[in-house]
Amino acid sequence: MAIKGGGFQKNSKVSSEVPSSSLADIAFLLLIFFMVTTVFQNDRQIPIEWPEVQSAQKIDEKQKNILNIWMERDGSVTINDQAYTMEQATTVVAPLYAASERALVISIRADREVPYRFMDQLQSALVAAGVVRVVFAATLEQSLQRERR
Amino acid sequence: MAAVLNKKKSKVSDEVPTSSMADIAFLLLIFFLVTTTFPKDKGLSIVLPEPGVEAEVSQRNILHIIVQVSGVVTVKRGESQQEQQYRPSEIEGLWRQEVTANPNMIAAVKTHPDAPYKYMMDVLDALHAANAERISLQVLEEN
Repeated sequence: MAIKGGGFQKNSKVSSEVPSSSLADIAFLLLIFFMVTTVFQNDRQIPIEWPEVQSAQKIDEKQKNILNIWMERDGSVTINDQAYTMEQATTVVAPLYAASERALVISIRADREVPYRFMDQLQSALVAAGVVRVVFAATLEQSLQRERR
Repeated sequence: MAAVLNKKKSKVSDEVPTSSMADIAFLLLIFFLVTTTFPKDKGLSIVLPEPGVEAEVSQRNILHIIVQVSGVVTVKRGESQQEQQYRPSEIEGLWRQEVTANPNMIAAVKTHPDAPYKYMMDVLDALHAANAERISLQVLEEN
């Protein structure tokens, strides 16, 4: 006559289940922790006033194939969070462009008040680097907001 | 007394069932994770010329669009010296007219070096809106 469970089962008051009631609490705690500590890489302290255009199109390219070049009002150039001079732009962009097998799209994020001479210099630098596809980044202008001219 | 009697017989729990709450929360979380799309960057795309390549273009096929410092746009047809002033928003209609008259037309946007970039963008915007494909961006040579 075998005793069921070795005769212990009746006496044991310890639950045989893994306690799962606090699992959700732990998960949410982790979730909130990561939400709070996550910092997005984008948008450093580069103050830019975007130009507004009506016919802006989405840049149809993978994020890794987009290189952002920031241009401030004084003509300073920032590529990958590093400040460069206009003359250095060609030497910085050319190897990146070659590494991407000519798939790189340059997104020029320039302030709307940048004098055009800087834009022209930057374009010349990009042409010298062999870049073909360039996007002038802008925000979409709502046509209702636009004054009737 | 009746209430006490009822309580003893009732087998329904008086707690709100919380065991499935976590499942519902995770389901919502995963739903939003999957459906979230980050906004893509927008802008006006342009194709730069290859280095060292210079195309000869007949003056007849060029529409000179000169952006002045003040944002006023001066338009000059290829060979004629006649100049006309426009506002950036009028370029779209002008370009549509020009291109129906001459499909080989090239827009040469020449911007004054001191002109703010936004005025060039206004013109480029108008050209994009008019489906212009042959655009050349230059800086206005100072005499």
